[in-house]
Amino acid sequence: MTTAEDTERAGPSRRRLLTGGGLFGAGALAGGLTGYFAQPDGAAGAVLGDGNQRIPFYGAHQAGIITPAQDRLAFGTLNVVSGAARADLRDLLREWTGAAALMTAGRLVGEQTEPMAPPVDTGEAVGSPVSRLTITIGYGPSLFDHRFGLAARKPSALADLPPLPNENLDPDYTGGDLCVQACSDDPLVAFHAVRNLARIGMGVVAHNWMELGFGRTSTTSTAQATPRNLLGFKDGTRNIKAEQAGLLEQHVWVGRETDQPWLRGGSYLVARKIRMFVENWDRDYLRDQENVIGRAKVSGAPLSGGTEFSTPDFAAAGADGEPAIPADAHIRLASPEHNDGTRILRRGYSFTDGIDPQAGTLLGGLFFIAFMKDPAQFIRLQRSLAGDALGEYIHHTGSGVFACPPGLRPGQSWGDALFA
Amino acid sequence: MSTDGKRWGRRGAVAAAAAGLALVISGCSSPGGSAGKAGEAGTARTAPDSGKTTTVTIHLTAQGCQPEPAKVPAGPVQFNVTNTSAGGVSEAELRTADLAHILGEQENLTPGLSGGFSLTIQPGTYKISCPGASQPDWTLTVTGKATGPSWQSNPQLAAAVRGYAGYVKQNTAGLVGHTRAFCRAIDAGNMNQAKVAYPQARVYYERIEPVAEVWGSLDTSIDGRWENPVTVKSQFTGFHRLEQMLWQDSSLNGAPAMCSGLVKNERQLLTLVSSAQYNPLEMASGATDLINEAGTSKISGEEERYSNTDLPVFAANVEASMKVVTLLRPYLQGKDSAIVPLIQQRDAAVASLLADYKASPGYDDTGYVDYSTVQNSQRRQLSTAVNALAEALSKLSAQVSG
Repeated sequence: MTTAEDTERAGPSRRRLLTGGGLFGAGALAGGLTGYFAQPDGAAGAVLGDGNQRIPFYGAHQAGIITPAQDRLAFGTLNVVSGAARADLRDLLREWTGAAALMTAGRLVGEQTEPMAPPVDTGEAVGSPVSRLTITIGYGPSLFDHRFGLAARKPSALADLPPLPNENLDPDYTGGDLCVQACSDDPLVAFHAVRNLARIGMGVVAHNWMELGFGRTSTTSTAQATPRNLLGFKDGTRNIKAEQAGLLEQHVWVGRETDQPWLRGGSYLVARKIRMFVENWDRDYLRDQENVIGRAKVSGAPLSGGTEFSTPDFAAAGADGEPAIPADAHIRLASPEHNDGTRILRRGYSFTDGIDPQAGTLLGGLFFIAFMKDPAQFIRLQRSLAGDALGEYIHHTGSGVFACPPGLRPGQSWGDALFA
Repeated sequence: MSTDGKRWGRRGAVAAAAAGLALVISGCSSPGGSAGKAGEAGTARTAPDSGKTTTVTIHLTAQGCQPEPAKVPAGPVQFNVTNTSAGGVSEAELRTADLAHILGEQENLTPGLSGGFSLTIQPGTYKISCPGASQPDWTLTVTGKATGPSWQSNPQLAAAVRGYAGYVKQNTAGLVGHTRAFCRAIDAGNMNQAKVAYPQARVYYERIEPVAEVWGSLDTSIDGRWENPVTVKSQFTGFHRLEQMLWQDSSLNGAPAMCSGLVKNERQLLTLVSSAQYNPLEMASGATDLINEAGTSKISGEEERYSNTDLPVFAANVEASMKVVTLLRPYLQGKDSAIVPLIQQRDAAVASLLADYKASPGYDDTGYVDYSTVQNSQRRQLSTAVNALAEALSKLSAQVSG
């Protein structure tokens, strides 16, 4: 709910934001908190960003999906607060659009000009290069209940995930009306984006749960080297890549099959917080670790031979006559070959929440994010993983599914198509 | 804990590949004719490329058990044993030349039955023994070059593996017996008695868990927990559903039938473990897995979430793990290893912490307090101690894999 007081307090920035992309590209304002980038004259006294580090906010699809995976993640889910109405939500999505366009262009959500008012932007990213920041939003199933008159706009494929193997979900890390995925090569910049969107939304939305990812575990472009997850293995070798347009149409972008035209060109985001029992994993001997995954630890090559990018040969036998890639190896059960060709675009990050207060062990693992044409793809894969050898070392503890709308043209806002 | 997976089986395969050996164990058809799913336990593996398998035939007769041929090349050897009519002779053993150690054997072959065993054998002189025959010991000569280190020709490792097989079998039999007592209390509608009998049966399962997990779906039906991995109500059977009935539902409605189903599954498990084969690497890994179990599902209280009888099963995990160490100790001491004293020291640290929670007769007569009364800070101490123990145990696998 936007109150008069809110509007007054945040006035200058909001008015500016509501003009859409009006200030976008207008150049640096002198003085005060003016932008992430050090300015050409060095006014902000920090590292000079490279223009190439900006990812365009506008486009056919939202940025942050096939954008080459940045190093850091801040992921927040939010719930609309009780009392907020349809119009409040719609206004907020417009405000978020403007703020996201500014931040991804390396600007603050509002310049500070009034010394006797709280700063409009929280300020922690001042001086930090924008570092390829992208902000991607999605709508959870609960947003389409009775509250905002959106029930008729709910895509039939959007529903809470059914119970799946190897999960014990913590309600404190599950669901959400909305999600915001902010990715950047700079952790502070990603965090700043989620923090400021939540702050702008105060009174309309409130934090539900949030997670920070400190290292990417997926490759979404052939130009990127494959990173490693906390198990020490290369992850995402066989991921769909941005350069594979046909696969993206087939597996990632929502197309004409949806019953909701507003979602065409969008994608479904499935988030899973996956705890890894890393102490137990670290005690397993190397050869067994490799058998659990189905790849060599150092090179990343499949156990059927070759190099990292060799296609795994699931029929190949080892010296002992047994399958070279064991029957319960993770890469076998998760493979398209094992799942009637099912694929998803993975975009996960390593996370840690510190130490388990009860066991004194590391609380951390993989914050799994994947994009797909239909959440049924994830469900299919996760059910296949019921017999996964890796299941002994991991546990899903958080979950969310969101419909991410398509991209915007300048002048358009998130929610325009949804509320039309 | 019960998650699907055939870890044991894969480890068996791994052992063979890692050492470049023809690790052919078992493949025997036992007198009952049932090798069960032993193949899944990494048993009926064919020889890798390091050598052709030689077959030695042994006919049990009243006179003896002459191997044919009596001279074979080193490498994988399949022993086929038959008994057509020798009433007083029922087994053939492969022994070291001094007869002190059994390296492989086929027991319980009454007339009309056949069976066998296989292993990788190193150059040297061996004996085939058949107690009860007029000449019970026959010589087998193995020629050629050593095919690499093999635990099967190491008497200490072979003895450790045999000891472990016996331990698993004994505890599985104990499991069946104590579960029957548990079911009798349920059948009688005696809830208090059933609550006392429940942890008494559970400890047997917790000692053999790394082996039982080989048969994933059977393990799940015996020991599966709700949500992990069971997510379908009709598939929530076995110990933990009964635990829920007793402590949470306070109702024995449907419990007698479920309990007899549990016993049936356990008896199937007993059949399977009776013909399963083990190796030192699997034993060592299993010892670490047991402590991993204690450190995760027991510390969190997830395993016995309705009954809070986590402490006795925690102790059972540790006990079974240390049994492996005891069995491997003669071999490890010969290796001049500092690892055994370290393991013992860390086991003592766990025992000392655990002693704080011992009680007599204790919660539900378990000998321990109710786990829900153990505070987070205390759980963390226990967890830290078992993690240190597991870390030391994890060093064993490389020492025993040749």
